Amino acid sequence: MERERAADGAGLRPPPWRDVRVLRIAFQVLVVGIVAGLGLYLVGNLTSNLDRQGIRTDFGYLSQPAGFAIADTSFRSTDSVLDALKVGIRNTAVLSLIGIVFALFLGIVVGVARLSRNWLVRKAAAVYVESLRNIPVLVIIIFFYIAVVLRLPPIQQASEWFGAAVISNSGAVLPSLRDAGAANLFTLFVVAGFVAGAAVAWMRTRRFDRTGEPHHRVLWFAGVFFVVAGAAYLVLGRPVAFSLPVRDGLVVAGGIRMPPEFAAMLVGLVVYTASHIAEIVRGSILAVARGQSEAATALGLTDFQRLRFVVLPQAFRIMIPPLANQFLNLTKNSSLAVFIGYADVASVTGIIVSQGNPAPQSIVLLMAVYLVFSLTISLVTNTVNRRMTLTTR
Amino acid sequence: MTALPEETVRIPNEALRPPVHARSPREWIKENLFPNAFNSVLTVVFGAIIMWAVVRTARFVFVTAQWSIVRANLTNFMVGFFPRDEIWRIWVAMMLLAVVTGLRWGSGGRRRIAERTPQPLRQSLKPLWPPALLAVAIIVLSGSAVTAGLITALFLAGFGGRIAGAALPQPIGRWTGVALAVTLVVAYVLVAGPGGSGASLWRGLLLTMALAAAGIALSFPIGVLLALGRRSSFPAIRVLCVGYIELIRGVPLITLLFMAFLILGFFLPPGAEIPTLVTRALVALVLFTAAYLAEVVRGGLQAVPKGQIEAAQALGLSPVTITRRIVLPQALRAVLPAIVGQFISLFKDTSLVGFIGLTELLGVAQQVTKQPEFLGLGLHAETLVFASFIYWVGAYGMSRASQRMETRLGVGER
Amino acid sequence: MTFKPLTADQRFTALQSGEIDVLIRNTTWTAKRDGSEGAAFAATTFYDGQGMMVRADSKYQRLEDMGNTTICVLKGTTTETNLESQFRGRNITYTPLSFQDNDTLREAFIQGRCQGWTSDKSQLAGIRSNFPAAQGGPEGLRILDVTLSKEPLGPVVRDGDTKWFDAVNWATIATIAAEEFGLTKANVDQMKSSSTDPEVQRFLGVTPSGADPFDAGLGLPADFAYQVVKQVGNYAEIYTAHVGPETPLGLPRGVNSLWTDGGLLYAPPYR
Repeated sequence: MERERAADGAGLRPPPWRDVRVLRIAFQVLVVGIVAGLGLYLVGNLTSNLDRQGIRTDFGYLSQPAGFAIADTSFRSTDSVLDALKVGIRNTAVLSLIGIVFALFLGIVVGVARLSRNWLVRKAAAVYVESLRNIPVLVIIIFFYIAVVLRLPPIQQASEWFGAAVISNSGAVLPSLRDAGAANLFTLFVVAGFVAGAAVAWMRTRRFDRTGEPHHRVLWFAGVFFVVAGAAYLVLGRPVAFSLPVRDGLVVAGGIRMPPEFAAMLVGLVVYTASHIAEIVRGSILAVARGQSEAATALGLTDFQRLRFVVLPQAFRIMIPPLANQFLNLTKNSSLAVFIGYADVASVTGIIVSQGNPAPQSIVLLMAVYLVFSLTISLVTNTVNRRMTLTTR
Repeated sequence: MTALPEETVRIPNEALRPPVHARSPREWIKENLFPNAFNSVLTVVFGAIIMWAVVRTARFVFVTAQWSIVRANLTNFMVGFFPRDEIWRIWVAMMLLAVVTGLRWGSGGRRRIAERTPQPLRQSLKPLWPPALLAVAIIVLSGSAVTAGLITALFLAGFGGRIAGAALPQPIGRWTGVALAVTLVVAYVLVAGPGGSGASLWRGLLLTMALAAAGIALSFPIGVLLALGRRSSFPAIRVLCVGYIELIRGVPLITLLFMAFLILGFFLPPGAEIPTLVTRALVALVLFTAAYLAEVVRGGLQAVPKGQIEAAQALGLSPVTITRRIVLPQALRAVLPAIVGQFISLFKDTSLVGFIGLTELLGVAQQVTKQPEFLGLGLHAETLVFASFIYWVGAYGMSRASQRMETRLGVGER
Repeated sequence: MTFKPLTADQRFTALQSGEIDVLIRNTTWTAKRDGSEGAAFAATTFYDGQGMMVRADSKYQRLEDMGNTTICVLKGTTTETNLESQFRGRNITYTPLSFQDNDTLREAFIQGRCQGWTSDKSQLAGIRSNFPAAQGGPEGLRILDVTLSKEPLGPVVRDGDTKWFDAVNWATIATIAAEEFGLTKANVDQMKSSSTDPEVQRFLGVTPSGADPFDAGLGLPADFAYQVVKQVGNYAEIYTAHVGPETPLGLPRGVNSLWTDGGLLYAPPYR
């Protein structure tokens, strides 16, 4: 077969079985076809197995009554399965958020301590990091749960701290705020005070940028906030009051309950993640060019000032991607609550499945929940990351 | 690249170092502990806290703890309910592995002679203190001369292998890596022997190490392939790889174990044989780790300068050869510490397989407290501390080994 | 034949996914399990009820006394659900504490984290008999005289496999029928060769006239009942050996006797 050769070489197409473009597309179609075929086969097996046994394959079970209770919540067994999942999601979110805040704080402290001039502090931090980083987080959590929290005295002999907290092996009851009248209105004013304080701090920063006068923005923020909140408190006539826990036999009235499982999870997660964050912080501080530290010292800044104004801000920028990873890890590690019975979303899914609800749908939902959490955290940290790189240079 | 002459002039390290200002102990204390007022207060406060913690811990370990629960269950911790009269298989396998590992260590693999710096014996023994401490603890706990003898024999076998390996001529020394792989297979066959049951009878530390080793071996190639696929020029393959990696990285390992445990059976046609628990746990671990490894290797692939690929293409090498010989070696070298870090995570993640009912090291630690003679005594702290110690020795040892590897390979230096 | 130990919250998914073929584990027959959980319940082997156990030195005698207490229960059981409905029905506030296995539960009970322990009465009896002496032994516990629910326990198979269901069902019924006929492990051989009762003969798969033995189409060999009685005995023998008054569990027959003795055990005729 003759091929037409144009003068400029155009129209020169090899036959399809040697045409690279065709082959590439064919190959991709083949790969996708194999993967899709495998997927369809597996899903087909799944649905046929479920149908054969009369197990439902839709998500209708979510609106059925749950039939089980979740401790320490207002969830009742007549509430729907979906409500149970919502309780689990809320618990996971609370645990992760509080855990991230505490772990970050502790991690930064320990990370800086590892570079301290003080030999004792340095070595202590090193021992902390090197021992906790190399033990599985589950072991740490279970240790805190079984060997610490459950060793506390039973409720009949609970220890009471300063009359403000009741600690026993059924958990800790801490003081809380309760509505004594106009709590909603008061919350509104608190938020308004927060916003006002932020606005004032921003204005002071702008003034600082313009004129160079010290901005004292933290003091201004705090001042404005407390003035607004305090005024609202007085004007509304004590809208909220402290609710102190009072023990009466087996019951503790008042306060807010922190179940032992939550305490163990929180402590375990924070202590473990902080050891990783400390390593990241240390690495980031070391990665800041030595010249910066030396110049700061040459200018006469104290250790603390050097850390606060020169090293940490630059280190912070380097830290953010690995920190984001640790936050994600903490959120995912919160799923270890299944081992000690804290009602996070993985635990609740386990209970839902054990009560006879279909497993495949439950697991798909569980994975979807965690994907949403991961995406949210990634989004937030990516935004912070981008802001930090933009505000320099 | 010229070959180094047989005799190189060596400048002693001491002559190259900056002069060290020798400090008397008093000066050291002043500088490190009491440089200024704030630090002095810190030293005093911390010193008090640390003294208190050390005393409490020492009191626990040596006085109040009832180690009888660990002593009575040492075999359980190590191998679970493995048939006791077949334990010789495990000892033989460990001896073989010790000897061949020593050989590998001593012969230094494929490194050229000139690169090997002779280390004083003390220097090379120093990193072995964690396993040595663990061995001492086990010997003391077991109180049995047989165990002491066997463990000592194990260490001696390792050293014997090292000495033999150092004496091996180079052409044979290159094959020690292969010998190690073969020994692993032999060890598996040996220990999987009883009843032809494979790994389904393995529990305790044996299961932890088997899952970690098999997990590493299987997840590494999958991870590398995923990383390469993620950078592929085929959009379809790229999308599939990215989708898989992001999906797995966004969910906790528990969900994968959930899947492996609960619904794996549903995916199989009716009448098909259900895989054992150990297989299922391994599948979940491998799928999980491969995704994370893929991200790590991707970082390494990005670190390879484009000029390398272009030069290789100019030389006319095929894409497969370029990847295999040029890109991958440099990429993996660049992220070796991160890869080892991922393996350490895998080792620690094996503790989660208790979720599907497998009693690995942590599971044994929890279960032995339910034995009739120890029930209700609340001896969890003892068992958990022992299990943590074993985990720590493994993970810490691996991380130190990776740090040493890092300095030896000159990673991070240009 | 392989035996697989499972916890309460794993057992149904193990059955559904094909990991096990028959579940014999104190499993209660309920409508939901029959319907949407893909399970089929064979003949009930034990009629149980849910009970409540407390410390002997506590002041609880009835459920109404247990307001504001914490009650330990196993995860994934009907016990959890019954506890909730009983206490809500009587308007008693309580806190549930659920665990994966009985050993962890017992530790929590000993440590005083919960004041009540609820489970099937047969389980409670067994737990009580094993209670460590350091904690007061069996006398340190009291099982309240209340029954929170009906708990008919029996073997369970997957929905969709009728032949297997029939086989399991009738193998179970055979033990009850054997007790009705008076056949025991010791005398079944002799009865097989010397009995003249046509019911017994049909049951044991004997045909004096030389015709083919009776085949009910269950997919079982003709002498399956004989094999069952020969190898494990009749219902009474199994009961007495494992859960009877002479054993540590010490459970009286009660409603688990034959219908002729005033109990609920009634074997359908084998014909």
